[in-house]
Amino acid sequence: MKKILFVFVMASLMLAACGGGATEAPTASNEPVEIRVWGHQAPAFNEANQKMFDDFMAANPNVTIKYETFPWDVFIQTIQTSLPAGNIADVILLPGGYTCRYALGGQLLEVPADVMTLDQAKEIFFDAPLGGQTCDGKLYGFPAEYNLEYGGAYVNPALFEEAGLAYPPKWKTWDDVVMDAKALTKVGSDNVMTVAGMHYTNGDQLFTYFLAGILEQGGSYFAEDGKHFNFNSPEAVATIQKLMDMAQKDGIVDPIIFNADSEWVGDSFAQGHNAIGVLGSWYASDAKIGYPDLVFNYVSLPPIMGPEHKFVSVGGWGYVVGKSTQHPDIAWQLAAFLGANEANVLYFNSTSATIPAMKSVAANPKYVEAVPFAAAVLPILDAGAYQGNLTDPDQLAYEIIYPTILDAIQGNQTAEEAANSIHEAANAMVDSAQ
Amino acid sequence: MAINSLFKRDIISGNGKLTEKQRRFAYTSLAPILLYMGVFTLFPIVWAVVMSFFDYTPIREGSGFLGLGGDNPFIAIDNYIELFTENTKPAEVFRIALKNTFIFTALVLPLNLIITLPLAVILESIGERFKTLFRAIYFLPTISSSVALVIIWSYIYAPGWGLLSLMFKAVGLVPPKSWLQDPSLVYFGVPLAMICVVIAHVWQDFGYNLVIFVAALQSIPKTLREAARVDGANVWQEFWLVVVPLLRRTVLLTSVLTVISSLQVFVIFQLLTRGGPQNQTQTMLLSIYENAFRFANNLGLSSAMSMVLFIIILTLTVIQFRILRTEWEY
Repeated sequence: MKKILFVFVMASLMLAACGGGATEAPTASNEPVEIRVWGHQAPAFNEANQKMFDDFMAANPNVTIKYETFPWDVFIQTIQTSLPAGNIADVILLPGGYTCRYALGGQLLEVPADVMTLDQAKEIFFDAPLGGQTCDGKLYGFPAEYNLEYGGAYVNPALFEEAGLAYPPKWKTWDDVVMDAKALTKVGSDNVMTVAGMHYTNGDQLFTYFLAGILEQGGSYFAEDGKHFNFNSPEAVATIQKLMDMAQKDGIVDPIIFNADSEWVGDSFAQGHNAIGVLGSWYASDAKIGYPDLVFNYVSLPPIMGPEHKFVSVGGWGYVVGKSTQHPDIAWQLAAFLGANEANVLYFNSTSATIPAMKSVAANPKYVEAVPFAAAVLPILDAGAYQGNLTDPDQLAYEIIYPTILDAIQGNQTAEEAANSIHEAANAMVDSAQ
Repeated sequence: MAINSLFKRDIISGNGKLTEKQRRFAYTSLAPILLYMGVFTLFPIVWAVVMSFFDYTPIREGSGFLGLGGDNPFIAIDNYIELFTENTKPAEVFRIALKNTFIFTALVLPLNLIITLPLAVILESIGERFKTLFRAIYFLPTISSSVALVIIWSYIYAPGWGLLSLMFKAVGLVPPKSWLQDPSLVYFGVPLAMICVVIAHVWQDFGYNLVIFVAALQSIPKTLREAARVDGANVWQEFWLVVVPLLRRTVLLTSVLTVISSLQVFVIFQLLTRGGPQNQTQTMLLSIYENAFRFANNLGLSSAMSMVLFIIILTLTVIQFRILRTEWEY
């Protein structure tokens, strides 16, 4: 009996271990093939993708695309727990910054040269989103959009009108923005801020504008070895001081009430709790779904610290192919159909209201017609660069830079102390990872 | 075949052991749950223990069994050393989280017992119809979705226009600018944000202990209380000198359960404060989650954190059993 039980348990374990493999064995070109695609749950993305999947399946009748979407946290967890088992999807729509993390770990396939070379990709895509798909000089995917947290802000017409300010605003300098924000700020009789003139104290924004501020002054946040960081430079200190002054001297935001975890900039803006919401253009499509009656505009912001725009981006969502795919040819064919076909890219960016990673789409009048608010940031796309290898971008942004700068803005440390603290923690992270 | 018939005395072998047929039935019945436990409970535990000795992340291919080795090398107890001695951000945050988790548990346990035990006595003393009604009301938060409860509490704690701030203003008090996000507000060494989370958690969780205490009170023989009364004990003496000692086992049970659940609270912290402000509500489970799935995907380090949490829970449980051990039955 023990033997029977042992055999039963072992057989079951083997079945469990073998189950859920990537796809079936390789097939001839006309045999039925199932391609699994993973993405996160975003209505606009899913709608755009589904239409393109239908088109692809119509053109390739033997291919069935199984599109599986997950909430953000579950999406990342699913990828990470599927990697050791070798059963991640054939094609994945990965967020910016994640491609190299998986590619350099040997979990993704390089784009075959007959599909697209890196030189060809450089001609087609903007540097910043392409950088997110390029690891150690190799191309691992096609950027579907340009992640942009810099250069634009949401403005509330009712609050501008109430304050007697010109709408939509056409700011020439950052001081102009701050001046309007001061006029827009409202503080209640109990000394609690009810409307922030400008909400810039969100996690992504403090991270983005901190790096941009350094670059706009001609500085660099990387040390000479290209791996460690230089976060206690005069440029870094000056940027932190500027971020502090806007809250402490100009009083345009109360960082205790308005930050990433309280009065999050998007919801806060939609509820009329901030007049100028500094946030990426991607929020516009979410706002239209979540707050259909919301009236707003998305306008361009001047450089924060220097004479001209200089900023970095995490890249953007991109289509990649998992190492364990049993059908790499079809997977790459699909990935290229989604991410490198101009008509499809135009459709995706127009439907999802994302900023194009493809230069020709950004220049296409049909795109601006479909996504008018994107016009505010299209002129600065060439000024952006990929953020580079930040070792662990999420940890750097959300565990080191954001909480430290917020602490300084809240008045608990000086700009120098904050810069030194970021510098030490960031470099300790690099040392720990080596 | 009726299950009972398998165990009739006439088919049990003479030496009192199960017959072959009974054994086969028992093994067949147990196999699915054993398999389930093995795959989904035992294997993950063993896997976590093993990973805690590796510099393991699933994003690196590694080599050998399940990617252990190669680029995911064996590092002995280095993960544990890092947690307690090094100045990396994950280790620093973990040490803060360790302290916060103890503070949270130390506040939740007495607060929970102080509320639930007297409330159970009051409930036990009222009429049957109201008893059921109130028991249901008090148990409602326990069976409600944690996410929904957090949304309710986020409205209560909202700065300025939140329910709690409005109540303060209504009675002429000045509420804090932010209940959950002001790192400068610390009372008796405990951040205000932590106090707020403790209150929300106890409100959600006390229904469990209440039901257990009510059941325990009902099981105390009435003769013991009556004897006390005959001996001249008043209501307070009856409660303190008769009921409370007889509830010692129940207090042990509820204490152990409350401590374990407090050490493992995740959702309310993740959704209400996300560990902020300035890590004042960062807990061990949040730390484990963030290092495993949000930041460096360092499952080796996260597993080491999980093992530390496991050892803490085990130690506290053993200590509680020893302290609250009883020697009598009733």
